Amino acid sequence: MEEKFKEIVARYCSVKAEDIKNDMSFRDDLGLSSLDLMTFLGDLEDEFDVEFELGEDEQKLSNVRTVEDAMNMLKEYME
Amino acid sequence: MNQTYALTAAQNMHYRWIREYKTQQVSGLSIVAAFQFDVNIATLKKCIELEKQRYACLRLRFTKPDENGEIMQYIADYEPEDIAEYDLTGMSLQEADDIMQKWAYETFDGDDIPMAEFRIVKLPSRYTGFFVHMDHRLNDSVGVAVMATDIMNLYKHFETGTPYPAPLGDFEKVLKSDLEKASNEKRLARAKKFWDEQLDEYGEPLYSDIQGPSVLEEARKKHNDPNLRAADIERKELFVAVKDYQLEVDSMQRAINFCLFNQISPTNLILLVIRTYLSKMNNGQEDITIENFVSRRSTQDEMTSGGSRVLCFPCRTVISGDTTFIEAARKIQNHQNRIYMFSGYDPEFIRAEMKKRYNTPDDTTYVSVYLTYQPPMNTSDLDPNAQKLRTHIKWFANGAATKKMYLTVSHLPDRKLNFSYHYQTAQLTEKDAELMYYYMMRILFRGIEDPGRTINEIIDMI
Repeated sequence: MEEKFKEIVARYCSVKAEDIKNDMSFRDDLGLSSLDLMTFLGDLEDEFDVEFELGEDEQKLSNVRTVEDAMNMLKEYME
Repeated sequence: MNQTYALTAAQNMHYRWIREYKTQQVSGLSIVAAFQFDVNIATLKKCIELEKQRYACLRLRFTKPDENGEIMQYIADYEPEDIAEYDLTGMSLQEADDIMQKWAYETFDGDDIPMAEFRIVKLPSRYTGFFVHMDHRLNDSVGVAVMATDIMNLYKHFETGTPYPAPLGDFEKVLKSDLEKASNEKRLARAKKFWDEQLDEYGEPLYSDIQGPSVLEEARKKHNDPNLRAADIERKELFVAVKDYQLEVDSMQRAINFCLFNQISPTNLILLVIRTYLSKMNNGQEDITIENFVSRRSTQDEMTSGGSRVLCFPCRTVISGDTTFIEAARKIQNHQNRIYMFSGYDPEFIRAEMKKRYNTPDDTTYVSVYLTYQPPMNTSDLDPNAQKLRTHIKWFANGAATKKMYLTVSHLPDRKLNFSYHYQTAQLTEKDAELMYYYMMRILFRGIEDPGRTINEIIDMI
């Protein structure tokens, strides 16, 4: 799952999937804008067949700052 | 014929306007990029021809409409051509611009024909470069900037020996990916649910005009419906005028610093300023909708593949006057982030749903203002020392506005922030643009100097 996840992240930045570290910040280290980040989350929904609940989990989404944050959120929804 | 594809949602947006307004002119996109040095025209022509091969969107063509008016697209094989040269040196730069402005009004009429045309231009003051006119379905403004940069990188390679520029993103691959995403039923259902929930929560939107409530009142009289919440769209007189205002560097930096400190994007700050202006002009109306163009270039491939990727979504917020400036900014940002997650959704579905629910009359709208914010292309755009080369780069309006007021905010090479107001002259005058800019700036600086002020307090102060 982590490998596939990082391959998707790599589509959005100039860092190769194998060089993406869990503590990297989407904004500061990988250069994603808020549009990029939200589009990326949309791709995660497609590829992992999950649906992030935007309404009540708005704060949760805005707290996604690092690769690990997003991976943990994805894991929660996959459970 | 090569492989054909359906139009994407972004292309369909332009095609719908062409069909509604019955002229391709509404889909024109033109720019001149000229440089103040002795340009080797033979090399420049060679680079433009190479660009047509590297940047496949420039070779897009459209098929003849079927019985329902629908068209397909395909990427034509590269065909070399002799690019025409125009000597506009015996005049002022303004006169040369006026001639190019007329070129920007030209239309591409016909099926299965090239939809982009380059011209070499020699301008006054030793500027030489190229003018390009194309259909917006081929490319958007970010894509045109990528193209112009690539042409000049090719030129530098051939003339000065810099490294050959890296390949651009694969347009056809991105096109296929877009069409695949658009047909993903789960994705579509999620997006529809999101937009439907907006209407469930707030009900029918309410029109707000930059000229105040009289416009909606007139529409109510015309349609004999005192409860009408939408106003008429100008369909016949499409001529557009443009008025630009520039925010000085220090002031621009104050606004950007506010954005950085509060983690608010400049787009959302500008949306807040516009909605506050509309609220002020409409007796404190709290339910405001602005259409915001979203440049959907997020993946590495999308950044450089060209293509028309911009979609326009309604940013509707209901914000009471006792909300603080910063709270309102965060509210808009949260809302926009949700929209971004579904930014591949065809906005026509949203309009169709509203028409179905509220039976809105034909040719009416809930929106008077459209916004595009163009972020700086790269750090050199914000670095005054990086701009050693004198350039004459100008975007030309296509002269036919489908929107009453279309504001483009962009960063200039000299670091000023440009506010370009494109307005339908049948409805608005330069005075309307001037007033809008004046009040927008007052709202902006009253807001950022004390983000704890409420929207009502700011409106009272200005």
